Amino acid sequence: MYDLIIRNGTVVDGSGLPGYQADVAVKGNRIAKIGKIAETADKEVDASGKVVAPGFIDPHTHFDAQLLWDGAAKPALSHGVTTIVPGNCSLSLAPLKADHRMRLVGMFNQIEEMPYKAFREGVVWDWETFSEYITRIRKGLAINVAPLVGHSVIRLWVMNDAATERTATDGEIAQMQDVLRECLNAGAAGLSTSYVDMDETLQPVPSRYADAREVDALAAVLGEYGRMLQIVPEFYDPDLTIARLDQLAELSIKYQIPTTFSPLFVNADNVDAVDRVMKRVDEQFARGARVWPQVQTRPIDISFSFAVPSLLFIRYSNWYRIMRFGTPVEIKAHFADPENRKARAAEVADAKGLWEKLVLRQVKTEANQKYVGQTLAGIAADRGVTPVEAMIDISVEEDLEAHFLAADMGHNDDEKVVSLLKHPRVHIGASDGGAHILSFSTYGDTGYLFAHFVRDLKTMRLEDAVKKITSDTASIWGIPERGLLQSGYIADIAVFDPQTVNRGVEKFVQDVPGDGSRYVRESHGVDTVIVSGGIAWSAKGGYQEARGAVLPGETSRQPELVAAE
Amino acid sequence: MTDANLSVVRKFIRPQTGDSWATIAERELPKLKTDEGVSSLQSWNLHVYMRAPAPEGSPRAGNPILPSDVIFIEPPMAAA
Repeated sequence: MYDLIIRNGTVVDGSGLPGYQADVAVKGNRIAKIGKIAETADKEVDASGKVVAPGFIDPHTHFDAQLLWDGAAKPALSHGVTTIVPGNCSLSLAPLKADHRMRLVGMFNQIEEMPYKAFREGVVWDWETFSEYITRIRKGLAINVAPLVGHSVIRLWVMNDAATERTATDGEIAQMQDVLRECLNAGAAGLSTSYVDMDETLQPVPSRYADAREVDALAAVLGEYGRMLQIVPEFYDPDLTIARLDQLAELSIKYQIPTTFSPLFVNADNVDAVDRVMKRVDEQFARGARVWPQVQTRPIDISFSFAVPSLLFIRYSNWYRIMRFGTPVEIKAHFADPENRKARAAEVADAKGLWEKLVLRQVKTEANQKYVGQTLAGIAADRGVTPVEAMIDISVEEDLEAHFLAADMGHNDDEKVVSLLKHPRVHIGASDGGAHILSFSTYGDTGYLFAHFVRDLKTMRLEDAVKKITSDTASIWGIPERGLLQSGYIADIAVFDPQTVNRGVEKFVQDVPGDGSRYVRESHGVDTVIVSGGIAWSAKGGYQEARGAVLPGETSRQPELVAAE
Repeated sequence: MTDANLSVVRKFIRPQTGDSWATIAERELPKLKTDEGVSSLQSWNLHVYMRAPAPEGSPRAGNPILPSDVIFIEPPMAAA
């Protein structure tokens, strides 16, 4: 007698080998048998016409805060993602002293666009150490979590305000090593650091004040555990990216650790850049280093309103500063002033082609409804102004609640992108799940992979796509017993229809604590998602069992399931 | 593959404690006058030179170089 049987599906087991017809039986939290199964089970899933695959692993997310009020990391789980890696880019929510909470909230707000109000109304601050944070998120955890610990946070913990003032002393570095060991012992999957991010005052985050000696010492600790070092390099410049990957390669070889950098984008303005970076990646792998570039599947879309500072304006300091530091009343007054309107429009004139293509996607007044769905070029022509002036005027008229979409901003050369996605030394990731919630949806990259590259363009085999986001990822990160459908492995499983799987349209929904909103994409074509042997989500039943584990050290958080084997 | 098999990429250094444009220029570009070296370094490292200034009173005020920075000590290489 089994607990769960998935019948009549095509098993695509994560190895890259051809799919085959078989049933999959689950007992406790593990796969018990794959093949023709005559026995019955308490629960059965009919997977006729569907693919039965290992659950997907998303290695670059920022669900750190969301996990405090949503243990399923919605809607990631419904897309078939059964394991997420939060804590990227030097930021995690632990270890964190009470005195530093608001400072870190400021960083999450600045870098990941998580609203202050969500922290105020969605978070009970009842932890300081990494171990306490893990205990905190375990309550109601429905998705597996392999959390990184952030370098900036460790620095802040040890050095307090000096973390953003100077290099560390030998004693402080030794303390950081001890803190990192505590975090790794408590379940951290590795360490993340950043060379680009800025805090809420637009000054560099603490990790950027670390010298090579400090990073080397922390990598040495990672070497004791064989855990991951993740960085976000200066990804806009191939020379800088190559310099950073060379540094990672040295640490990887010296301490025998896996390393990864994200993101690596295909940039239409510099099409040779990724070739140069990948040539270096190949050379470093040939030396024995493990330096995994992460490439996202989706093209870059950015949505924005004037109410929050958008990445789109980060090049234009006057725009960015008023959006970053102004209240809504101040922002509206600023852009309503004719002199400011003229000056701001002049400042962004160099990107005329960009503004023309922006689409107005949402307004609140009846008067402007007629423009929804139109480009700024069209709206500008109707109003007799420039596209930028039209954007400013409508934002003012709508009390800053006009939403615009900049679609296909980059990473949209399908031929180039798929060549990267298929590359044996590329790690599919960089979704940024749970971050940038007011700029774009970070959910559904797996659906886009299957719909766009596998089904529509036919440029990637289904089995290869599954392998890339399951067993490859588990191997890269050292996550045991997951990523393959194999008897005895943990039963993390995604059942989906290969003819319909996709990401849904981007929607702006209000479901963030504190009446906050975010962009999301629902899943299409995903039937059932199983985590640690339990049905965590299904298209028919929605979110169900919560059996998420903290990886890589924990096989299941439910002792009775382990004991039942 | 040994290190010798790595292709040539643009040379860079990591700053030493207390480094400024001038100290890096004097150490890494000794054949140039200091002000010429500084000017070259700044033009090769716009990611540092164009960085927003640190606030007044900050230990970083007046020096944009961070300990984690990559500082190129030669211009971009010609395309292959």
